[in-house]
Formats: sequence, structure tokens, C-alpha cells
Amino acid sequence: MSEAAILTEGLSKSFGTQAAVAELNLKIQPGAVYGFLGRNGAGKTTTMRMLLGLVRPTKGSARVLGLDPGKEAELLRILERVAFVPQRKQLYGWATPVELVRMNKAYFSCWSDEAAARLAQRLEIPMKTEFKKLSIGNQSKVALLLALAQEAEVLVLDEPTAGLDPVMVDEILRTLIEDHVSQGRTIFVSSHHLGEVEQICDWVGILEEGRLLLESRLEEIRQEFRLVIASGEGLPAVSSTDVVSATTDGRFRRYVVAREAERFAAELRGQGATILEVSSLGLRELFLHLVRKEDVCTPGNAGAKPAPVSSFS
Amino acid sequence: MYAWKCWRETRASFIFLLMLCTVPALLVTLGPGLTEQNGWWRFDRSEYLHNAGPTSQLVSIMVLSVLWPSGFLSAVFLGATAPGSEIEPGTIEYLWTRPRTRTSLTWTHWGVCLAEMVIVAVVPTYLAAAILGTLTRTWNLPLLMIAPWIMVIVGLPMLGLTALMTALRRSAKGGLIYTAGIVSVYLIFRQLITVPLHLNLPPLFAGPVTWLMNNKPFVPPSAFPWGSLVRAVLLTAAFPLAAQYLLKRAEV
Repeated sequence: MSEAAILTEGLSKSFGTQAAVAELNLKIQPGAVYGFLGRNGAGKTTTMRMLLGLVRPTKGSARVLGLDPGKEAELLRILERVAFVPQRKQLYGWATPVELVRMNKAYFSCWSDEAAARLAQRLEIPMKTEFKKLSIGNQSKVALLLALAQEAEVLVLDEPTAGLDPVMVDEILRTLIEDHVSQGRTIFVSSHHLGEVEQICDWVGILEEGRLLLESRLEEIRQEFRLVIASGEGLPAVSSTDVVSATTDGRFRRYVVAREAERFAAELRGQGATILEVSSLGLRELFLHLVRKEDVCTPGNAGAKPAPVSSFS
Repeated sequence: MYAWKCWRETRASFIFLLMLCTVPALLVTLGPGLTEQNGWWRFDRSEYLHNAGPTSQLVSIMVLSVLWPSGFLSAVFLGATAPGSEIEPGTIEYLWTRPRTRTSLTWTHWGVCLAEMVIVAVVPTYLAAAILGTLTRTWNLPLLMIAPWIMVIVGLPMLGLTALMTALRRSAKGGLIYTAGIVSVYLIFRQLITVPLHLNLPPLFAGPVTWLMNNKPFVPPSAFPWGSLVRAVLLTAAFPLAAQYLLKRAEV
């Protein structure tokens, strides 16, 4: 197997006593399109910043294209081969996109003028207007243009479509698929728009409070993952590594099961539970079940307060 | 390309400061020759030839007129555009994800600012020297010739101090406020010590400027404050190195 495009082992970052990222283990293969999901403050941006040397890990290690971002010489080689769109797409207010392109291309040997021109046209960017006078959407587009025309081996995109209208979001997703995914480039993208993630990603990782709750192929989520809702007095503890999440409130329990849900439901029945529902899960439902903190327990919406997965193993 | 960005970002201040030095230089040197005759202004070169006294005065005024803009103002304004100033606005994420070391960015900025400071100090001063030399036929103006270089040498610690403060405060505004605060506190402290205790403390690194201001062009100069010059050179190196150290370890 070829070397991972992005690899982290026990990667952790704390700000004072606050753990932003805790023991994160990621392995993203070259050519993968990896959706990095999580609520605000889950640690997605901090993780991306650690990969690009903007933040130093407190513990653990990271490697991008086999190189260590903690070492200056290796970081420079990473930055030559990785394009980054930060969450805060702030560029020089006095510069026009034309000037920004001219400035940016000097840094990168693989820069494509042809791609830059095509993107400018496709994304309808006013190239001669000062950056500070552009709308937030257009500012985001300029940041994307600079990253995509870099023709990098790995794209690290932190909420790349924030502030864009649906037409532009669609254009950008199509550009990513046509120009980058099709060429086998690795994309590591964080987004709150799960529909977009479903459209382009083949892998997803869900982060919560700095910890990776789930990492799976998107296809596997669609085909294998099921929601099992059970009720009954004193529901039995379940010993199964297939349960990735369980939320409980009184008599109801909701289990997100990674595989063999029917067998798992039968096991519950065998222990006296009543199975109310076994249903397939979309990415959105899975995400909500995994990260939702408060969930009022009502008929048809059973469960609340997620319990740690480990307590069911 | 970062050098171009530094130039593009500072060029408005640079042009303003250059004019701030050049206009007085032209006014001071050409002013005495302008006379009114029948309601018209005319230039009378003989004003310069009959009396050497004004030349001496002109050189002193010239030194003073370019002193502050070229030495201190340019250093402070240019220093406030150092890489540390990009942290608060957020452009640092762009800058620090280009394949360049943070150290090289710090020193590229410093180099561009040095070049601009030299031009701001040298061009108006040497222009004035050339005009005065032509008009008075006196080319021996050593004080005027070394003045811009002294201003640059004394300005460089200010450039470094402002760059360091922007790194510390992570913004241009914060850097400027801290620099102004440090300079003010130092001057007040020096004054408080000097007057009641009857001490004559040498200025930390501004001795060469005091020397320039106290000397007359055609009078043998007093002893040059070499100690102050050495301190200026040491601080010129120390402040950017400290800024480089801070920025290299900064997280954003």
C-alpha cells in the first residue's frame, strides 16, 4: 500500500486546560476525498492547522505526504505540495484578485495559469476589484481559486463553501470532482453542509470534542449503518463492537449500529427489549445521532444524552 | 514575491514620507534665492554667493527637516507592516502557508523597509546638497553627506522595535501603541532622572542624532558618540532577532 497522504497518530492539542484535539488517529489514503465533520469547536480547524504547521501539537505526531510538519525543512516541502483554504478566508484588502494570483503563482512551481483563468471565469470572480471591496462570497471564491490553481497533490479545505450561494457551491463541487478528484488528488475537507460532503466524499470522519467518534467509508454508512430504537424497562447493556453510538433516556434507547443490525436487534429482543424501529441512516441522521447533546424524548424521537460508546462494549 | 507585497503595502507611506522630506529640502535650499521683483517671483543666485552664513544655517535646517520623517517616522510606519501585524487581520494564515520560512519573511520585510528608509533619507538630503553645492559652489558639506546614514542607523532600532511590538501584540495598531508607549516612558523616565539628580544620561541610541543637531556644518565637530552608535547597531540586530524568535514559535 502506498504511503498515506495524511497520517496522524495520537495527535493532541490543548489550549490551557481545554483539549481541542485528543488522541486523533487519522489515515487518509492518496486519492481519497475525506469529509471531516463535527460541530463548531469540535477540533477540525485545529487539526488542519496542525497539519500545516500553523499550530504545534501538544502530543502525538502528524505526517503529510510522509513529511513531518513539525520540522521546518519538511514543512516547506509540504506547503509546496498542499493547497489550503482556511476557514477565515482573509487576504490582502488592497490587492485585486489579479494581483493576488500574480503574487501567489510565484510561490508554486506547479501553478496553472490556465486553471486560474478557467476558475475565474467559471466562478464569475471580478478580477479587477480590490479584495476588500468584494462580497464575502467572492472573497471565498478568490481563496478557492488561489488554492485550486496551485495544482497541489493534497487539498486541505476548511469550510470551503461557507458564504456561497447554491449555484456557486455546485460549481465548486463540480470543479473539485472534474479537476481534482478525477486526477486522483487527495482532498481533506471540513464542512457543515452534509449534502455537499455526501456529494463528493468517499470517506467521512466525525469529530466531537476533539475525539474521532467515527471514521468510515460513505458507501458503508449507506449500506450497513442502521438506527435501532428499542424500549423496555432496564434495557440490557449491550456487548457489541458494532454499536458506534447509543443514546438513552428512561425507557428508550437508540443505537447506531455499524453492521448486522438485524442480528443486534434479535439479540436485544432476546434480552427482553421491544424493538420499535430498525431503519437505514443517511449521513445527516448519523451525524445528528452521534453528536447531538440534548434530544427531547418524544414518541417517534426516542432517546437523549449520548452515552459514551465504550460503555456498551 | 513577498518583497513585492511589502513594497505594494508600504508604497503609499513611502511616497508620503519621501515627499515629507523632499519638499522641505527644496523649500529650504531654494527659498533664500527667491526674491520678489515687480510683483513677480524670480530666483537670484547671488543671494547664495555673497554670504556663506545662510549656507551653514540651511544645512542645519535641512538636517532637522529630514531628521524626523526619514529616521523615526519612516521606521515606525514601516515597522508596523511587519509580518506580526498580519496575525490579527487573519492574512497570516495565507502568508504562513506559502512555502517560505517565517525567518525569511521577517528579514525580507526588514530589507525592503531598510531600502525604503535609505531612499527617504538619502534622496532629499543629497538633492539638497547638490542644489546647495551648485548655488554656493561649496561642495564640502560633510555633515550633510553623512546625515542620512546616521538617520538610517538610528532609525533601524525603531524599525526593529515596532516590528517586535507588532509581533508581540499581533497587530499593527497594538504594535504602534506599544512602541509609542515604550518611547514615551523612556523619554519621561530619562527626564525624571536627569533633572532632579543632575545627571546627564546619554540617550540610549539616539546620540548620533543629538550630535548632528548640535554641530554646525563648518565648525570642527565635537566628539562623536560612538557608544551610542554601537548601542544602535546592537539594537538594530537585537529587535528583529527577537521578533523572528517570537514569530517562529507563534501559533495562529
